[in-house]
Amino acid sequence: MSHRFLPYLWTSLFLLVAIVLSVAIGSVFIPLLSQLRLLADWLMRRPLPDSLQTFASIISAIRLPRTALVLLTGAALGGSGAADQGLFRNPLADPYLIGVASGAGLGAVLAMSLNWPYSFWGLMAVPLAAFCAALATVFVVYSLARLGKTVPTTNLILAGVAFGSFASALTSYLMLRSTGDLHRAIAWMLGGASQAGWSPVLAVLPFLAIGLGILVLSGHSLNLMQYGDDQAQQLGLHVTRARTVILVAASLTTAAAVSFSGIIGFIGLIVPHVMRLWFGADYRRLLPLSILSGAGALLLADVLARTLLAPQELPVGIITALAGAPFFLWVLRRTKNQGYW
Amino acid sequence: MIRKLILTIVSLAFLLAGCAPARTATPAPTQPLPTPSQPLPTPVPTATPISLTDGLKRAVSLPAPAQRIVSLAPSNTEILFAIGGGSQVVGRDSFSDYPAEAKSVADIGGSTGNYNTEAIVALHPDLILAGEINPPELVASLQQLGLTVYFLPNPSGLDGLYANLRTVGLLTGHSAQAAALVSSLQARVAAVDAKVAAAASHPSVYYELDATDPTKPYTAGPGTFVDLLIARAGGTNFGAQLKEQWAQISLEQLVVGNPSIVILGDSAYGVTPASFASRPALDQLAAVKANQVYPFDDNLVSRPGPRLVDGLEALAKLIHPELFK
Repeated sequence: MSHRFLPYLWTSLFLLVAIVLSVAIGSVFIPLLSQLRLLADWLMRRPLPDSLQTFASIISAIRLPRTALVLLTGAALGGSGAADQGLFRNPLADPYLIGVASGAGLGAVLAMSLNWPYSFWGLMAVPLAAFCAALATVFVVYSLARLGKTVPTTNLILAGVAFGSFASALTSYLMLRSTGDLHRAIAWMLGGASQAGWSPVLAVLPFLAIGLGILVLSGHSLNLMQYGDDQAQQLGLHVTRARTVILVAASLTTAAAVSFSGIIGFIGLIVPHVMRLWFGADYRRLLPLSILSGAGALLLADVLARTLLAPQELPVGIITALAGAPFFLWVLRRTKNQGYW
Repeated sequence: MIRKLILTIVSLAFLLAGCAPARTATPAPTQPLPTPSQPLPTPVPTATPISLTDGLKRAVSLPAPAQRIVSLAPSNTEILFAIGGGSQVVGRDSFSDYPAEAKSVADIGGSTGNYNTEAIVALHPDLILAGEINPPELVASLQQLGLTVYFLPNPSGLDGLYANLRTVGLLTGHSAQAAALVSSLQARVAAVDAKVAAAASHPSVYYELDATDPTKPYTAGPGTFVDLLIARAGGTNFGAQLKEQWAQISLEQLVVGNPSIVILGDSAYGVTPASFASRPALDQLAAVKANQVYPFDDNLVSRPGPRLVDGLEALAKLIHPELFK
């Protein structure tokens, strides 16, 4: 086992542990023996005993789809966070920097303020509106930041922050005016999987596959970008094109993740930093590692959200910040290589 | 230029791919279609099985009256206990705190907006009674898990409350008790109506919902139960002139409006007549000068359950004490 693969081994192991915990732990206690029995019966395709039917349906209909959706969301946030930090060469960048979150929030609250019929599309209205509004926001910000043939990152950040504040203000206004849906809107803003079943997973999967696929292949371009635009250009990188491709891929990924899971903070900011502190700043490696451990970290946060106050469920966004911030500070203090950025 | 064009086309393609289905509002054939709307609820002649259309226009059917019920709203819990179905309630949301027996029923969450679906499934309910404080996503998730969900809509008046009581009576096999409860509530409302008919005046009543920001408290506007019950109790709701159901008003408006009675629905959060009077300029109010500032149990008027009639009686006694001597 060469030194190059060790980081992948560790993060994959971490993700695996997180998946197992996420399926095994929930607000309803399922004894380990019953779980092993269920697994064995399922593997051998034996019929289930009646006493285990409830546990089986809790695991297959509630925990597995939720685990899958949380895993995908965490992967998306970790991956796009790493890409955005590299793209903007800014340690404060996260997937929401150029307005994806505020745009999605506005879309979601707009959709919630209308009275949809109880039907398939009525229920899809909120995630669809969030997704579309997030992408529309990125498009507007990109167009506003454009100067001739170039898109300076400073312009992108400033346009993103300004447009984001504008959208957030509209969102707050809509929330204050809403009569009954305030609770629902706040829950969405704080993040957490609200819809059960496999359809959200299937809906976001293609976008994440395309977006994360592009990001994983963009490691080399991101490495070159760290030298600055001029040097990267001299080294043979078509900077504007590469930047646009990465921006679209990261935004698509984030928008899809946000549409069903709400706005989950901190994962996309902290996970790439921890990976960088531990395993170095080579983006060819940083991107896949951030994707793997972003998924693992969000799964662990979700386990905590489900169990800390059981039977209450906390919004997972609260856990990611509450547990993530001290952990990150601990990693930061322990790392001797302080000039890592 | 070409790059810009390509980028525009790609972005538009993504946007359209994402948005197109939302604009053509055709329901997907794979989903349970909402049944044609009928005057709801329409009971089937024979007592069992039961099929009704709920507040989301979903067809709900039960093979027999429900015996293991999970209530997702405090108002639903109060209705279930009031019609004699309390022993059939196996789960309730965190806010359900009335009657006292309800607190010993298993808590299935809800105080953070998230309900614990695992715990609900583990209770093996044969009926989940949802309300308008529950998002439709929750109803869909529970339905996907193979559970029977009835969405009880918020009533728009006391008649709607009676209809809801009869519906829950039918769903739980307590139709006779529900009918008896409805007649006794109707009699109590009629008694209040008879007394209030003799009222000489309809004083202006300011009902405070929330004064987290004491310079801009929330009050109940037109169309709310507070508005309806204040009018029925012989008062004039100060908030009735506002445009929205739950509206923030400024202290200035309150001083100019000069209500003669103040009812503190937020007294459970520590607002007292003394703290109300100590806010800037409010010592000038007619209500404060005449000592007509009263703490009030907001649950009596905010939960669309049978205690609305308790709320009506309590309001009538505060607004027209002379009629209830």
